[in-house]
Amino acid sequence: MSTNDQSAAATAEERIVRITVNGTAMSGIAEPRLLLHDFLRHELELTGTHAGCEHGVCGACTIRLNGEVVRSCIMFAVQADGASIETVEGMANNGVLHPIQVAFQEEHGLQCGFCTPGMLMATQTLLEENPDPSEDEIREYLSGNICRCTGYVGIVASVKSAAKKLSVIQSNANGKA
Amino acid sequence: MSTTPTESLNTGLNIQTMTEADDVLGRRKYIGMSVLRTEDPVFLTGRGKYTDDVHLPGMLHAAFLRSPYPHAKILSIDKTRALAIDGVHAVYTEADFEPILGHFVTTVHREEVLTVDRPIMDSTVARYVGQPIAVVLADSRYLAEDGVDLIDIQWEPLEPVMDPEKALEPDSTLVREDLGTNNFAHIEFQRGDTEGLFEGAAHVFSKRFHHGRFMAAPLEPRGVIADWDVASDELVVWSSTQIPHLIRTFTAGPLGIAESKMRVIADHVGGGFGMKAHVFDEEALIPASSKLSGKPIKWIEDRYENLAASLHSKEMIIYLEAAVDKDGKFLAFKGHYIGVGGAWPAHPWTSLIDTLPAASLLPSIYDIQAVSTQIDAPLTNRCPSGAYRGVGWTPGHVARETFIDDIAREMEIDPAEIRLMNSIPDEPFVSVTGMKYDGGSYSASLRKTLEMIDYEGLRKKQAELLKEGRYLGIGISPYVEPTAWGSEVAKANGFAAEFFDAANVTVEPDGSITVTTGCHNHGQAHYTTLAQVAADTLGVSFESIRVIENDSSQAVYGTGTYASRTAVVAGGAIMRAGKEVREKIIRLAAHAMEVSPEDVDLADGIASVKGVPDKSMTMAELGFMSYYGGSSRVPGVEPALTSTRSYDPPETYSNGTIIAIVEVDVETGLVDLQHIACCEDCGTMLNPMVVDGQMVGAISHGIGGAMYEDLAYADNGQFLSASLMDYLYPSTTEVPHMEISHIETPSVVTEGGIKGMGESGNIAAGAACINAIADALSSFGKIEINKTPIGPSDVMDLIRGLRGAK
Repeated sequence: MSTNDQSAAATAEERIVRITVNGTAMSGIAEPRLLLHDFLRHELELTGTHAGCEHGVCGACTIRLNGEVVRSCIMFAVQADGASIETVEGMANNGVLHPIQVAFQEEHGLQCGFCTPGMLMATQTLLEENPDPSEDEIREYLSGNICRCTGYVGIVASVKSAAKKLSVIQSNANGKA
Repeated sequence: MSTTPTESLNTGLNIQTMTEADDVLGRRKYIGMSVLRTEDPVFLTGRGKYTDDVHLPGMLHAAFLRSPYPHAKILSIDKTRALAIDGVHAVYTEADFEPILGHFVTTVHREEVLTVDRPIMDSTVARYVGQPIAVVLADSRYLAEDGVDLIDIQWEPLEPVMDPEKALEPDSTLVREDLGTNNFAHIEFQRGDTEGLFEGAAHVFSKRFHHGRFMAAPLEPRGVIADWDVASDELVVWSSTQIPHLIRTFTAGPLGIAESKMRVIADHVGGGFGMKAHVFDEEALIPASSKLSGKPIKWIEDRYENLAASLHSKEMIIYLEAAVDKDGKFLAFKGHYIGVGGAWPAHPWTSLIDTLPAASLLPSIYDIQAVSTQIDAPLTNRCPSGAYRGVGWTPGHVARETFIDDIAREMEIDPAEIRLMNSIPDEPFVSVTGMKYDGGSYSASLRKTLEMIDYEGLRKKQAELLKEGRYLGIGISPYVEPTAWGSEVAKANGFAAEFFDAANVTVEPDGSITVTTGCHNHGQAHYTTLAQVAADTLGVSFESIRVIENDSSQAVYGTGTYASRTAVVAGGAIMRAGKEVREKIIRLAAHAMEVSPEDVDLADGIASVKGVPDKSMTMAELGFMSYYGGSSRVPGVEPALTSTRSYDPPETYSNGTIIAIVEVDVETGLVDLQHIACCEDCGTMLNPMVVDGQMVGAISHGIGGAMYEDLAYADNGQFLSASLMDYLYPSTTEVPHMEISHIETPSVVTEGGIKGMGESGNIAAGAACINAIADALSSFGKIEINKTPIGPSDVMDLIRGLRGAK
């Protein structure tokens, strides 16, 4: 639902929710039952985050909240008040793809694209926690993100490739320092 | 209803079978390259535009009240309390739609098939759990669902019809009183002397197989937005569909609007897999709701609705018989296919999209002399059943290939050997059901896949592990996939239809190229692969091509993307149109450079005079000249560098083999699917990366259907798989690493030698998994698996049964 829809359905219980999304302070109106993914998508108009099941299984709504991977479909917007959130929209820098995004294109890690935003958020967190994961570790970490198109072969290859790209960038940065 | 065996397959006329663009492959630069997908950056940056990403001013949100009963009469509906909610604008039922909305009339044009004529919303009788009974329009989806909760309905529950075989008995309760029977179709087919071969055979085998009910379950559920402008009487519909033009054609009539005033947009679609190649009730009800309310209306399906009430597939009870000679040579097959339909036939394909293809493909790669098939299509109080990746080829294949393993074990012949000794030759072949295979690697792909896994070495390892009490299993599954659904392949599968698809190729004033087709891109990378085809056909750069689909007002008319058709159908139409445009470009360049057209070559977007390299023109110069070149253009010739051409390909079939390797834990029944190897052959590959992606994606569906996914109903008709806690998608930990190899046997009949592909993984991987499980347990005794899916408790039942039998 949109801002207009919300005000049309105004109730006394509505709250103003203030969050930082991809480094930008944003706010919107949410009644207590409004789910976080609906708030992001329809109140803040950040439609990159998707809803696939609304019961916390498929992972399409995965975002990062205060640095941790969360399902935005099983959390209320009011619970996120004051939080810092990262979504897929914050990953590329002015049209320049993040190395993880480049890896997903090069290794055919997506087809229809619907799971991709959640998959990217989960991958980014995995590689921060474990910069050089084994195939088993990748598969274990991503088992909560469903992809119906790729059979995961391209996704696992993308994560491996992204790990390599990020480690090269890291070692270059260390070299300069 | 006729019970006469039919010989009516393959009797239609294809008006355009000859290839025209045979020279394209000779100058290919991009076809066959793993060009990276130009689609990806949009999705990677979260800038996709799926249906729920569209917002219109003044839009209301819809939620459906759906039946909680499998079968019930509706005595009364009271909207009062729902309408009293602040923010709820309307509640519509059948009575509200009746004056402005016609019926869906569904059949398959064969004399053996009945016709179902029904209101698009039936608010008087519920026939499955999830059937839409009323729709609420409100300021938000949350409020619309509040409204649904406050509609007061008096139900009178009726006896549900759940057992498909009992539904066929004459005294069964009827799902639809108006039909007078539960059997939507009874179809028989006969070729060769089946009875004689069975009588004379050294061995006769039989099997009953119950293939499970599973579904596409795309990650993006369905969704429809309709904006009916009552002033201009124009309708724009956004729908998460694979068939935007067909949605227009099938709903414009019931909605009472000219197709020319209706636009269907399906910009980005989060997976379809055949499910979204249907015309759903909601695709008519939401536009009708927009007309009634005067507002744009959005409906986004939730996961419960998708699982319970979108479209189920593939459930079938199959009786097979085989006549086999003393050496293991197959002589004749018989098959009886009972498709477990829902409350009505899915529009427009019906549940026969499973049974007819299953029966038609019974011979597969096997050289048999005779075949008899029967089809029954009982309606039951379940969600309607229809097409999903691999359609009925999947259950038919799983039943046949597990049966062949049973026969091989019984006759003590290696399962690879029995298949190789019965395989048709690796050349064009007409199957006993009349399918015209256009050349392939029917046994070569099997041999290659055996090499990929070191079959002999693996058998030795299996024997060694067995000594340690470990149960390794190898499952073999060679396949043929009918592809490129057009007139001929539709008829080969029992569907009488004659139609075509088209493409337009147009040079813009700046020399860039716009290509449109009536197919639909929802993950298959058409904007990349079809640009590869167009670039090679024209002789221009890949980067200069833009492909447009997914919008009925931007692209030429076409029937959409399903049944592995687009590479062949749209690819062929682009080759035909592109060849004409290339000739026009060369003629213009020759005139401008004052040479004869035979002396001009067009490559990489440069038209140059052969042997005179510095005499050339760019596409930018030629494009501008064609639009604004005045008298410097060719006199008396239509100046536009454009062409629209159609293509209705001959029958074309891809093939290959999938092998699964499992280890079964006989204490817990857990199956560890360790590896999948596959050799596929889809003729000329447009983009090997995309072919691999289609292959592994479809294989993961086959794994799901064989081992995890089950749309279960209780005997009382309640739906038991209503969330993803119950309906199990395979994840990264269930789908193993897969190895894909290729043999490229170009089609002898299609433009460019292209064959379709993309479904065979779901056709053949399930049988590979089931055969591997049976193989792993074969040391316990005479094993026969006769159902899917097979989960850990089923494995334990099998082991207990075998141990008990000893």
